[in-house]
This record gives sequence, structure tokens and C-alpha cells, in this order.
Amino acid sequence: MTRQRLVILLAVLVAALWLAVSGSAAAAPSTADSALNASSNGDCFRCHGQQDVKGQTIEVDGQQRSIYVDRAVYEASRHGNLACTSCHIGFKPGPHDAGQTNAWLVTAKLTACNNCHADQFEMYRGSFHGSLVFGESSGEAPVCADCHEPHNITPPDSAAFRASIDGLCARCHAEQQKTYLDSYHGKAFYLGDAQTAVCTDCHGGHKILPPSDPESMVSEQNLVATCAQCHPGANENFVGFMVHVDPQSPSSSFAVWTFWILYIMLIAVVFTFGFVHTALYIYRGIKDGLYRRSPHG
Amino acid sequence: MASTGEALTAEAAPKKVRTRIEYRRFNVFHRWMHFLVFVSFTVLVFTGMPLKYKDTEWARWFMDLFGGVTAAGVYHRIAAVVTVFYWTLEFTFMVVMVLRSRGKLLRSPGSMMPGKKDLEDMIGMFAWFFGKGPKPQFDRYTYWEKFDYMSLMAGTVIIGMTGFMMWFPLWFTKVLPGIFLNIALVIHSNEALLAMGVIFIFVHFFSAHVKPESFPLDKVIFTGSLPVDHYKAERPLEYARRVREGTLDDVLVEKRITWKTYAADVLWWTITAFAGFCAILMTAFIIWSVFD
Repeated sequence: MTRQRLVILLAVLVAALWLAVSGSAAAAPSTADSALNASSNGDCFRCHGQQDVKGQTIEVDGQQRSIYVDRAVYEASRHGNLACTSCHIGFKPGPHDAGQTNAWLVTAKLTACNNCHADQFEMYRGSFHGSLVFGESSGEAPVCADCHEPHNITPPDSAAFRASIDGLCARCHAEQQKTYLDSYHGKAFYLGDAQTAVCTDCHGGHKILPPSDPESMVSEQNLVATCAQCHPGANENFVGFMVHVDPQSPSSSFAVWTFWILYIMLIAVVFTFGFVHTALYIYRGIKDGLYRRSPHG
Repeated sequence: MASTGEALTAEAAPKKVRTRIEYRRFNVFHRWMHFLVFVSFTVLVFTGMPLKYKDTEWARWFMDLFGGVTAAGVYHRIAAVVTVFYWTLEFTFMVVMVLRSRGKLLRSPGSMMPGKKDLEDMIGMFAWFFGKGPKPQFDRYTYWEKFDYMSLMAGTVIIGMTGFMMWFPLWFTKVLPGIFLNIALVIHSNEALLAMGVIFIFVHFFSAHVKPESFPLDKVIFTGSLPVDHYKAERPLEYARRVREGTLDDVLVEKRITWKTYAADVLWWTITAFAGFCAILMTAFIIWSVFD
């Protein structure tokens, strides 16, 4: 190998190394830019990671919340390399001021995610949930952390997260979860089909809007397009299929309930008659000793 | 068909083989039809019922057994295609035979068509149950066998149509409103339970295994024929009718009793034990879920 070739090879190697380093830095600009990294987290876990704070809670909006964070779980999560203070902005080691804690909970907690996930945050802000949180009546509307568990964050495209979606929504929309799970998609989803549609596939994740809003994925205007994501060629008739219908309730859909109740009556009649006929036949068979004389025995 | 009658009269049996004159109740077509129904029905029940009772522990066992809900769906659809195949074949044969007889077959006492005698038989059976009369005598098919057959043929249309609506929703909603898909699920699911009850418990299973005349296994649908005196006792009217009409020879066969006869018996018992196990298992699971 000539000297010239060796220089070229070396140059290529150096270039590749530089690209790799700068590339990885570029992939995580937030951590690099804000100089926030997990190295300072030890200070936080010194108190919040202690086994004996597990039972300790603080009261927030009348709710008791734990101050314990499982360090191992946090560090294994997607955000494990982030400093605690990248979300808990402004907190310093040592006992925290209650006023600061509450102030963070009502303001910074809502917007901390915006620092890295601006696109999702904008969608959320425009959603029905977001409008409640940032509007006059925050009520019990969910913030980011209510669906994306902050200390054990799971990639939203992971199977584990997908499998948990209906449960997340059910904390407020239990009735809709029940009807969904009894529907064609829901049954398959419940038994482990990862492909089938779940809440967010039809309602959206961050920008959920009520069906009355024309921009909603489930509005009259958009329903055909929403169903066509999985069912290309869906038409007006097709989207007339009701996901959230309870066959056992006449107020949910009278037509569906009618078929349900007719079948229940038919089954009751046939099974009752079958049971009586069968029982009497066996009774007579035993009484007359027919079983002892069975030609097939 | 007359050839079997001649075979009976042949005295020359070259080797010493044990033979027995039997009454041929079912032909090869009947037996193959039953086999197809048997296999497809079992697959359909076991891949479908876990969806109906999705909240139960056993629903997950079965889905794991089949390799997941998606795989179970594939087996369900394959069995559905088999169902369409046997139904079409049976229906075509039925229509052809009725047409060829110029409708006479429908009025024959040996036909599957329900008639006045069936109602009388049913009343007669209830009288017999309570010791208020003799057991009615039956022709080729009893009223519960006619119910079994007719409910399967009609039920298959209902469950098949609704099943295909859910399999090809885009195609069906070209014409039908979307609520038909909701109704289809309600019908499909409840018709399945009804069919399962009729086949696995009250009518078919009872008829073939539990009633005193058949206990513990009437294997005639597998073997095709049974000893003449058994049949004469079970269906005296058909026997008498054939004697009267001089057509008895058409259905008498000479059955050779060899080791194969016993080997086949083992097979029928195995199949039946499996089916019985399935039927009892599924029934127990469903009763458990209903009362859980």
C-alpha cells in the first residue's frame, strides 16, 4: 500500500468518524443544546428515588400524588437520558417550595413537552382536550402526561403503547370503550390483533375533536376519508356502520336492539324446549331400562 | 342400486369371510357431507366463540392455540368456504332429486319435509315421556332429525350471509346501509350460539349419543349401514314401507366383517371422543361465562 493511499484511507476514516459524531449530536439537539443531561439526576433521585419515599404523597388539586420515581424504570425509558430538570424546570436540590411546586404543576407541566415536541403540542393545543386545558375550565381534561406516562415514557409506535390506548381513553370514556370492545375491531384488538383500528386511529391522537367539528376525523365530512385509511373505497353507506353501539340497549340503536332481543327470545325458546325434551327422554329411557338394551352399547 | 340386492342372493362365497346383512341408511354422499359439516362446524365454533366471549380466560387460550386472533380468522374463513361448498352441493342435490321425482319426494314419508305426522309424533313422544302412551313409530327421519337438518340448512344461509357481510363490508355497503353491518354482527353471533346449542347439546349430540336408542354412539353416519334388526326396531315404518313396496333389497348390503371393520370402529370412536370432548368443553365454557 502506498503512502498516498494510506492518507486517503485515513482521511476517509476521519471524515466518517466526524460524520458519526456530528450526526448523533444532531439527532439529539435538545439534550446537547440545553446542556441538560442526566448527570445531575443523582441529586433528584437522592430523595425521590428512595424506597422510603414510596408512600409519600403531596396534595395537588385535592389529589394525593406520589413523589417517588423508580430510577431504573425511568432510565430504561425513552427519556432516560434527559435531566429531570428538562421537564421539571427551575427545580433545585433540597426541599422544594410548595408554591413553586404548585406553580410548575399548573403551568410548566403543561408546556414542558412543547420544548421538544412542538408539532404534537400545537395539535394538542388545538384539540378538544387542549382547548379545555388552556381554556377557562381545565376540569379533568387530560394533559400530555396523562396519556404518555412521564417517568416511563413508551414510544407511541410501540406495540405496548398501542395495546394500552383503549385503557387510557377509558379513564374518562368508559362507556365508549365498552361498545368499542364489543365491536368487530374491538374484539380483535382485545384478543391481541395489533393491526386493527383502535380509538386513536379514528379519533386522532393529539388533535381529537368532537364529531360536530368539521375538522374532526370523525365529522360527517371526514368520516369517509378516515375509514378509507384501512378500507380503501369506503363510501357513505360504509361509514354508516356504528362503532359505538350497544345492542342490548334500545336507546343506543333500536334496529340493532330489535334483532338482539328477537334472537335472545329465539335462543331461550329453542334451548328451553330442547332441555325439557332431552331431560324427559333420558328420564323415560332410564325408567324403562332402555339404556341397558341399547343396540349400540 | 339393485345390484346390492343381487349380491345378497349370491351363495358363492369363495373364502370363509364373516359377513352380515346390514341396512344401508346413508350412502357415500351423505357420509362425506356429514364429514365436511363436522370438520367445518367444529373449526368455526372454536375460532368464532372466543370472539363472542372475548372477556373469558378460555378465549385467550384458544387464540393462543390457533396462533393468534388473526390466524384464527384465517381458519374461520377457510371453514366458511368449506361450508359454502357443502351447502351448495347439498342444496343442488336436493333440488335435482326433488325435480327428478317431479315433487313426489317432498310428499314421501321418508322425506326431510316436516309434515302433520311430525307434530303427532312430537305429541306422542311427550305422552310417552309421561307414561301416557306407547312410543311413536318413526319413518326414515324423526321430527328432531328434520329439525336438525332444516335448522342447519336455514341457519347456514343466515350465518353465511351475515358472515360474508362482515368479511366483505365494502362490497355489501355498495348497496346496503352501514347499520346492516351492526345488525350482521348481532345475528351472526347469536345464530352461532343457537346453532352450537342445537348441534352440540340439545338435538344432534343428544340424538347421536345420549338418547337410549343410540347411547353411547350411533356410528351409522360413519359406517353407512347397521344391522337390519337394529334398524327395524329404530325406524319400523320405513322398514315396513320398504317391505310393502318391495324395495327392501335396494338398501340391504352384505357387510364383510374383517379386521378393517374393527379398525374403523376405533377410528369412529376416536373421532367421536374428540367431538364429544370439544362439545362438552365448549358448552361448559359458555355456561361458565354466562354464569360467571
